[in-house]
Amino acid sequence: MYRRPALFLLTALLSPLAAAELQFNRDIRPILSDKCYHCHGTDAAAKKIPLRLDSEEAAKANLGGGRRALVPGDPEASELIRRITSTNKARKMPPAWSGLSLTEKEIAALRDWVAQGAKWQKHWAFLPPVRPDPPSVKSSNLVRNPIDNFVLARLEREGLSFSPEAPKETLLRRVTLDLTGLPPTLAELDAFLKDSSPDAYEKVVDRLLASPRYAERMAARWLDAARYADTNGYQFDGERQMWRWRDWVIESFHRNQPFNEFVIEQIAGDLLPNATLDQKIATGFNRNHRINTEDGIVPEEYAVEYVVDRVETMGSVFLGLTIGCARCHNHKYDPITQKEFYQLYAYFNNIPEFGRGMKYGNSPPVIPAPMREQQMEMVRIEAEMRKAEGFLKEREAAIARGQRKWERTLASADPRYWRPRDSFAWTAKAADGVVPDVAGRVGQAKEFDGKAYLDAGRDLSLDIDDRFTVSLWVKPRAGDGSLVSRMQDRDKGKGFGVHLRDSRVHVNLTSNWNDDAIRIETEQKLELDRWYHLTVTYDGSVAARGVQVYIDGKQAPVKVLLDSLYRPFRNAGRAFTEPLRIGAGWGPQLRFRGLIDDLRLWHRVLKADEIEAVALGVSINEIARKPLAARTAAESNAIRWHYLDTVSGPQLRGAWERILALADEKDQLERKFPTVMVMEENATPRRTFLLKRGVYDQPGEEVQRSVPAFLPPLPPGAENNRLGFAKWLVDPGNPLLARVTVNRFWQMYFGTGLVKTVEDFGLQGEWPSHPELLDWLATEFIRSGWNVKAMQKLIVTSATYRQSSKASQELLQRDPENRLLARGPRFRLPAEMVRDQALAVAGLLKHRFGGPSVKPYQPEGLWNELSMQDMEYVQSRGDDLYRRSLYTFWKRTIAPPLMVNFDAANRETCVVRESRTNTPLQALNLMNDVTFLEAGRMLGQRMMQEGGQTPESRLRHGFRLVTSRVPSSSELQVLRDSLNYHRDYFADEAKAAEYLSLGETKPDPALNKRELAAYAAVGSLLLNLDEAVTKE
Amino acid sequence: MTDDLRLAMTRRHFFSRTAALGVGTAALASLLAEEGRAEGGLEGLPHFKPKAKRVIYLFQHGAPSQLDLFDYKPELAKRRGENLPDSVRRGQRLTGMTAYQASFPTAPSIFKFVQHGNSGMWMSELLPYTSKVADELCLIRSMHTEAINHDPAVTFFQTGFQLAGRPSIGAWISYGLGSENKDLPAFVVLVSQGVGGSQALADRCWGSGFLPTKHQGVKFRSGADPVLYLNDPPGYSSEARRRFLSDLAKLNEQRLEEVQDPEIATRIAQYEMAFRMQSSVPELTDLSTEPESTFELYGPDSRKPGTYAANCILARRLAERGVRFIQLFHRGWDQHGNLPKEIRGQCQQTDQATAALILDLKQRGLLEDTLVVWGGEFGRTVYSQGTLTETNYGRDHHPRCFCLWLAGGGVKGGLTYGATDDFSYNIVENPVDVHDLHATILHQLGIDHTKLTYKFQGRHFRLTDVGGKVIRPILA
Repeated sequence: MYRRPALFLLTALLSPLAAAELQFNRDIRPILSDKCYHCHGTDAAAKKIPLRLDSEEAAKANLGGGRRALVPGDPEASELIRRITSTNKARKMPPAWSGLSLTEKEIAALRDWVAQGAKWQKHWAFLPPVRPDPPSVKSSNLVRNPIDNFVLARLEREGLSFSPEAPKETLLRRVTLDLTGLPPTLAELDAFLKDSSPDAYEKVVDRLLASPRYAERMAARWLDAARYADTNGYQFDGERQMWRWRDWVIESFHRNQPFNEFVIEQIAGDLLPNATLDQKIATGFNRNHRINTEDGIVPEEYAVEYVVDRVETMGSVFLGLTIGCARCHNHKYDPITQKEFYQLYAYFNNIPEFGRGMKYGNSPPVIPAPMREQQMEMVRIEAEMRKAEGFLKEREAAIARGQRKWERTLASADPRYWRPRDSFAWTAKAADGVVPDVAGRVGQAKEFDGKAYLDAGRDLSLDIDDRFTVSLWVKPRAGDGSLVSRMQDRDKGKGFGVHLRDSRVHVNLTSNWNDDAIRIETEQKLELDRWYHLTVTYDGSVAARGVQVYIDGKQAPVKVLLDSLYRPFRNAGRAFTEPLRIGAGWGPQLRFRGLIDDLRLWHRVLKADEIEAVALGVSINEIARKPLAARTAAESNAIRWHYLDTVSGPQLRGAWERILALADEKDQLERKFPTVMVMEENATPRRTFLLKRGVYDQPGEEVQRSVPAFLPPLPPGAENNRLGFAKWLVDPGNPLLARVTVNRFWQMYFGTGLVKTVEDFGLQGEWPSHPELLDWLATEFIRSGWNVKAMQKLIVTSATYRQSSKASQELLQRDPENRLLARGPRFRLPAEMVRDQALAVAGLLKHRFGGPSVKPYQPEGLWNELSMQDMEYVQSRGDDLYRRSLYTFWKRTIAPPLMVNFDAANRETCVVRESRTNTPLQALNLMNDVTFLEAGRMLGQRMMQEGGQTPESRLRHGFRLVTSRVPSSSELQVLRDSLNYHRDYFADEAKAAEYLSLGETKPDPALNKRELAAYAAVGSLLLNLDEAVTKE
Repeated sequence: MTDDLRLAMTRRHFFSRTAALGVGTAALASLLAEEGRAEGGLEGLPHFKPKAKRVIYLFQHGAPSQLDLFDYKPELAKRRGENLPDSVRRGQRLTGMTAYQASFPTAPSIFKFVQHGNSGMWMSELLPYTSKVADELCLIRSMHTEAINHDPAVTFFQTGFQLAGRPSIGAWISYGLGSENKDLPAFVVLVSQGVGGSQALADRCWGSGFLPTKHQGVKFRSGADPVLYLNDPPGYSSEARRRFLSDLAKLNEQRLEEVQDPEIATRIAQYEMAFRMQSSVPELTDLSTEPESTFELYGPDSRKPGTYAANCILARRLAERGVRFIQLFHRGWDQHGNLPKEIRGQCQQTDQATAALILDLKQRGLLEDTLVVWGGEFGRTVYSQGTLTETNYGRDHHPRCFCLWLAGGGVKGGLTYGATDDFSYNIVENPVDVHDLHATILHQLGIDHTKLTYKFQGRHFRLTDVGGKVIRPILA
C-alpha cells in the first residue's frame, strides 16, 4: 500500500537518516504503535498475550528462558529483532493474518535503535509541555517573534531559509480571510498599500481582531468540532433549536473570553455558582449530538450513544485523544482502559434525558433562552408591572374604602363570580342524544347520561406545544368518564383529554398509543354524587411535570404513569381536526355520566391564587356579606379582583388594566423565547456501569467518575463532578488541552497542524513537525491567560506566516506539504468562505448577528427526495438569502450541497481535521449554482458602476475585488477577449435577458443588458479562478 | 494540498515545469485526464484477479418481507394466529412498536409459493418476473444484522457500522479501485420512491466518511439537472461554456506559472472533467435513444424518469460506461400494516425491472463481470404487527434472518444458500452477516477486505470493521 503513514514521509524529509541517534518518541514508537500495539499494547492482557511493548519494563522483561524482546545494545539477541526479520512464516512478526508488515526502513530503524541502547521515552504528549527557549538563528534579522526562531532554526538546519515576505496585497487578503473569513474591501486595501508605517500590518491585525467578523470566522470551526446543526439527525431528522448556543459561541469569541473559561462554561456552566443564563446556554455544547426520534427504537440504546458521543467529542476537541476506541475494549494504542472510558462517561451520564428525543424541537433538558433584546423587554415589563402595582398599593386606603362602599350594593344584586378574563367562548351542540340543562353548582349545569355529549367545535387548539388551563365543576355519577377532550373518540386515540378513571382524575396527552404520550393521574379519588372543582393546567413543555391538577383549588398530588411524549397531534404537516368534546373522547366506553358546570378554558397557565379564587363555591355577593376578618385569602382576592375588574375609578382602573395587560404581554413574550438544550444534573446521580463490548444492555461492574490514570488527577479542591472535570481539563498541569488547542489554531492558518493528526495526540498520532514550537505556543497560551486573540495575533504577525506562498520546483519536490514552512500557506478556502467571499465581492453580503438559521438558495426538491413527509425547504427571502454561511440552516442528513461539495465537516459527529479535495463537482457548483451566478452578475454590475468608463479599468476593478491584486497585462488581455466574446454572444437580447434573470436581486435597469450580461459572465469567470477560491 | 496531488507528485514528478507549462491547454487537459484515469485507485489493487469489475446494488429500502417473497414456510399455515412460541423468540428484543403488543399471532404469508428454474428455487407469486431468472440468482436466506431500526440498519449495510461517520461501500471501492471512466464519477447513486410512506434516507448512505470527499457517491436525480449544478444557466450555451473554460484555463495557467502550485493544474483538469460531465451525463440519462424493446423489457414504468424501472435502465447504462459502483435505493418497503396490499404495489414497481436488468446485462455480456445485489436492511417478523385477519396483516422489523440475493460477478446462479427455522425467525444453517456480505463483494472485485484500510484517528479502519469472511460456498 503506497499510502504509508505520512510520518515516514516527514521523518525522511526532516532527517536524511544518517546514523543520527534515533529518538524513541519520534522514530520508534510510531512503528511499534502502528504495527505492534494492536496486539502487544494496552489491551494485551485482555487478550492473554504475554508480551507488551507499550511499557519499557514489560518490553525488556525476561519472557522465560532468558528470552527478552529487547536486549539493549544487542539486536541479534533481541527476540523482537529476530521475529521481525524471521524467514519462518510461523514466527514472523507482524503475522501475515494481521495484514500489517514492516518496511525495510522500519526494520533498520528498530535494529539501529536497539543497537544504540533501546532508550525509552514516555509519550511526549502525555508529559506537560516545558517552555523551551527560542533557539538562536543565523538570520536573526528575519525573526519577528519567537515562532520564527523555531521555524527558521529548523530551516537553517536543512540548509533552507524563509521565502521573502508576501506582497502587501497578498498578505492583506490572506490575513483578512484568515481572521474574518472575508476578503478585504478595496478601501481597506488602498489604505494598507498607502500606509508605510512600520506597524501598518499590526494595525490591520488589530482592526480585524476587533471586528465581529472575526468572531464569526472563529465560531465556524468551533461549530464543526461541536457537531452543531439545526436538526436532530438520524432517521426523521426534525428541526431543533440550538442557535442560541451558536450565538453564545460567536459572542464569546468576540469578547475574547479566555479559553479556559470558554471550556469550563461549555462543559459545566450550569454547575457554576449562581450560573447565569449565558453560562447555562454554553452547556449546549454537550447537547449538539444527534438525537434519535424514530418510532421503534429502544430508548436505552440511544441514551448510551448520546453519552458516548459526548465523551468522544470531548476527547477529540479538548484532549486530542481517540477515547472512543476504549468503549468496547481497552484502547489498542493509548493507555486508556475500558473501565476508564466508563469512568469518564460517568461525568456525562447524569442528566435528565430520555433516549428517544422530541420529533420536533428540543429534547429535555431544555431552557428558555431569551435573546438580549427579549431579556431587556422582560426587564421593562417587570419594571412597569412593579410601577403599576406600586401605584395601587399607595392608594390602598382609598381602594379599600371604595370597595366597601361597592360591596354594600351587592346585597341586592344577582349572584356573580369572579373569573379571569379571556376565557375561550365556546358554544356547543349535542351529539348522540340530548344534554339537558339542570341546576348546577354555580349556574346552569349540563347533565350527561353516559351516551350523549357536547361538540364544541375546532376553534381552540390544545396541542402539545400550547399552554392552556381547563377548569370546571363536576358531579360524577360514575367512576369512569371523559370530562373534556380534544382527542379522537376511540380507544387509544390521539389527543388531549381529562378523564375520570377509577374515580381518579386522569390527564392524557397521547400522540401515538402506547408510549408516545404523557399520562398522569391524581392519587385522590373523587366521590360520586358530590360537586368538585377541577382545574388542569399544561405549560406546553411536553413533559409530565408541565401538567398540574387542582381539586377544589388545591394542587393535587399526582402519579406520573408515562412521560415520553415526543410528537405533536398535528403530525406530518396535517392539521389535527378532532373537536373539543365535553363528556366524551376515547370512545363510547368513556362517555361521562354526571353533571358539569361552568367549564372554562384559557390559553394560558393560570396562577395558583387565580385557580384558588376560581374554585370558590361562594359568590362575590356572599363574600361581601362576610366581615373582612372572616374571609379567606382566596375570597379576599376574588372580591378585590372583581372590584378592580368592574367598578373602580378611571385612574385605578387604568393601573389595574395595565397590570393585566402587562401580565398578558409577559406571557406572550415568554412564548416567543427561543429555547436551547442544556446540561443539567439529576438530583440523584445515575449509576454508571461498564458496558461489556460497549453494548447498552450488557452492564458489567459499576464504576465511579474518574479521570484516566496516565493523566494528572483532578486538581485539589475540585469536586468529582462535571465542574471538577472541566477544571481538570483547563488545569495547567493537563499536558493536552493547550497543545491540542494551539495546534488547531495553527491548522487554520497553515492548513496542517504542527501535529498533523489534530484529533489524535496519542501514540498513533503523528510526531510534531516542530515539537519545541508546539510546546512554546502551548505554554505561551497558558501564560497569556488563555488569550485567544493574542494567540491569533502572535501567529499572523510572525515572519513565518507573512512569507510568500510561491514555491520553487525544488522546494515543492522536497516539501510538497510545506511542513518545513519555508514558504507561506497556499490552499483552497474552506466551504463557507467560498460562498461568503462571492457574496462579499458582489456587494450582496448582509451582516446580521445571530438568530434562527436561514435558508439560502438550494436546488429544489433535495429534501423531498430523501426525507420523510413534512420537511419542506422553504427558501428564505430578501436579506436572509445573503447572510454568512455560518447562519445557513444545516440539516444533518441532507446537508447544504455547496458545503458538502467544498469539504465542510459533516456535522453528524465531531470533526476537527480540515480536509480539502479538488473535484469536478466543485467546478460545476461554482459555474452553475445561482448563488455564484447572481454574485457574478452583481460583480459585473459593480464593474460597470464603479470601475470607470473603459473596459480595462472595469475589468481591473473586478479582478481586484476578487483577488486584491492588479491583473498583469496578459491576464487583462484574456479578460478583455472574454468580455468581447460575451458582448458578441449576448448580442442576442433574449439570451442576455435570460442570463440576467437568475437570483432574487434585480439588475440595475439603467445598464445596457447586453453589456451587463457580458460583464456578468466575466464576473462569473473571476469567481471561478483558482486564485479566487484560494488563500495565497 | 490534497493527498492525491502530493502522491501524484511523489510518484511521477508529474508536475515538472515542462509537463505543466510547455503544453497548450487542450494537451494539458487531456494529459490530466489520462492522468486522472491512471490516478484512480491504490497501487497494488486489485489484490488478485477480480471476477467482477463493478457492482450494481439494488437496495430495497425499508426492509422487504422475506416471508412473503423468498423464505417459503409451508408449516406456518397450520399455526395461523397461534402465539409465536417463546422457544422460538428466545427473548429477542422487539422494537418500541410491538414491545407493548399483548400477543404475537403467527401470520403465514397469503401468497402462493412455487419452485422455479432448474434449481427449483422457491419464490412467491409476487415475483413473476424475478422467478424467471431464478437460475441466475444466488439466494441467501440466512442474512442477519445487529440493528432493529432503519437508520442504524441502513447505515450498517452501507458503511459497515451502525453509527454515522464511516465511508460507504461505494466510497471504499472508489478509493480502492478508482474509476474506469474519465467522464463519470466512480460511484453513482439513484433513488426512487415506493408506494405508500417511505422512511428517510441520508446522504451518509453514500458518504465518504473519513475518506477524501471525492469518493462520495454522486446522486443522480431525475429531471432536468441529473447532477446538481450540471446545467449551464439559461441563456448560456455549451459553446459559450467552452469558451469560458478556455479563458479560465488561460488565467489559471498563468497563475500556475507564477506560483507553481500543482493544485492549480488539478483544478484546470477538474474543470475539464466537469465540462465532459456536462455532455456525458445528459447523454447517459437520456433514455430516448433506447429502442422500444428496452422499455418493453423493463416494463411500462421505465418510461417515467425517476422510477425504479427507469433507474434500472440507467444502472445498465452506467455499467456499460464503466462506473464502478452503482447504488440504487428504492424506498417504501416498511410494511408494518397492510402488508399484502403494499408489498404487491412494491413488487409491481420493482419485479419486472429487476429481472429485466439481469437479462439485459446477460444479453450484453455484462453480467459475468457485474455483481448485482438485491436486498434490504433487515427482515420482517413472522408474527403480525396489529390485527391479523384473513386478508391482512403487518410485520415488524426482524434482524435475525432475512433474504438477499446476488447475481453475476462470479457467484453461483441457481443456488439457495442458508436456511431458517419453520418460523423464519432464527437461522439454522450457514448464517451470513453484513460484514460477510461486504467481504464477499470486495472479494469479487479483487480486494482482500482485510487489506483495504484507511488510517484515521490512529486506527486502520476497514469496511468490514473487525469482522467479515468471504462466503466461499456461493462463489462460482
